Amino acid sequence: MNRRVTRIDELARDIPPPRDLWPAISAAIAAGEPVATARPRRAAWLPAVGLAAGVALVAIGVLIGRNITPQTTPNVATNTQPAQNPEVIPAALRDAEYRKQRDQLLVEVQTRLQAMPEAEREKVAASLKTLQRSIQEIEAALGRDPANALLQELLVSSCQEEMRALTAVRDTGRQEI
Amino acid sequence: MKPDTVVEFDVALIERARRGDAKAFERLYRDHVGRVHGLCLRMTRNPDLAADCCQDAFIKAWKALPRFEARASFSTWLHRIAVNTVLEKRRSPSKLEMAVEDPGEYEEPVMSFDTPVEEEELEAAIESLPQGARDALVLCGLYGYEHSEAASMLGIAVGTCKAQLHRARGLLKERLERGVR
Repeated sequence: MNRRVTRIDELARDIPPPRDLWPAISAAIAAGEPVATARPRRAAWLPAVGLAAGVALVAIGVLIGRNITPQTTPNVATNTQPAQNPEVIPAALRDAEYRKQRDQLLVEVQTRLQAMPEAEREKVAASLKTLQRSIQEIEAALGRDPANALLQELLVSSCQEEMRALTAVRDTGRQEI
Repeated sequence: MKPDTVVEFDVALIERARRGDAKAFERLYRDHVGRVHGLCLRMTRNPDLAADCCQDAFIKAWKALPRFEARASFSTWLHRIAVNTVLEKRRSPSKLEMAVEDPGEYEEPVMSFDTPVEEEELEAAIESLPQGARDALVLCGLYGYEHSEAASMLGIAVGTCKAQLHRARGLLKERLERGVR
C-alpha cells in the first residue's frame, strides 16, 4: 500500500541494496593492503600550504588595488595545468566547463600580466604560482591518500580560491579600460 | 542539524575496525548500508550504479579508517565518501558552479506539503529533478545536512547549494501539482 507523507523527510532514508554487498567488499579489503593501526597524523605540510595560499591571496589583493600602468614587457608564464590526476581529483574539478573557464581566465590573466609593470607582474605571478603549487601539493597528497575528505575539501576550496584570484587579476585590467 | 541526533554506538566497532578487524567493519557495514545505499540510489537514480557506488564507498571507508577522526560522526563521514564516489562515477559530473544566484534568505531545508502526498509520487517527482537540484534536495531536505555540509560534499559553494535547493522546491511543487507521470 502506498503511504502518504506530508514532509519530505518522512521518506525512508534507509533503502537496503538489492543484494548483499558484503561478500564483494570483504573480498576487496582482504585483497587490499591491511589497515594501518597508527593514529592518523595531520600532514605536516597542511598548515604551510594554507599559509602559503593565504599569503598569495593577500599579495594579489594588495597588488590589484594599486594603480598599475600598462607597459610592454616580456611574457610571464603561468601554470596552465589544473589539477590533473583523475584518480584523486573530486568530480567538480574534472568538469569540462570548469576547465574551459580556467583556461580562458589564464589566457586573459596572461595578457593582463604582460601589461603590468615588471615589479608588479612578478609579484602577482609569484602569488599565483604559490597558489598553484599549493594545489599541486594537495593533489600529490591526495594521490597518496585518495579517500581523505579533508584533502578533497581543501583541493576544491583551493581551486575556487585560484579562480577568484584569477578573476580578480583579470577584472583589474577591465576596470582600467 | 546533524542527520543523526542519536548518540552513535559505533565507537568501539570503529576502533576495532581501525585495528584491522573485518568482523567489526562488517557490523558497521550492516548498520549503515541502508542509509548509504539510499543516498546513492537517490543521487544516481540507477539501482546498479547505486549498488556499485555503495560498495566502493565502503571499500574506500575501510582503507581510510585509520584517518577517521573519532570525534566526527561516522555516518556523516561515510556519506561524504559515498557522495564523492557518486560524483566520480557520473558520466557528466556536476559543475563547479562559481556564479549561481543565491536566493538570499535562509530557506528551511525540510519541505512540507499542505495535503499529504503519496510516497511513490513524491519519489518519482524527486527522481525527475535536474541533477544539481536533486542533489541539494536529497542531502539537505531528506538527509538533513546543513547547506555548508552539503555544499562541501558536493564541491559547490554554499550559495549554489541554497539556490539549487530553492530551485528543487519550486520544481517539486510544480511537478506534484500537475502530476509527475
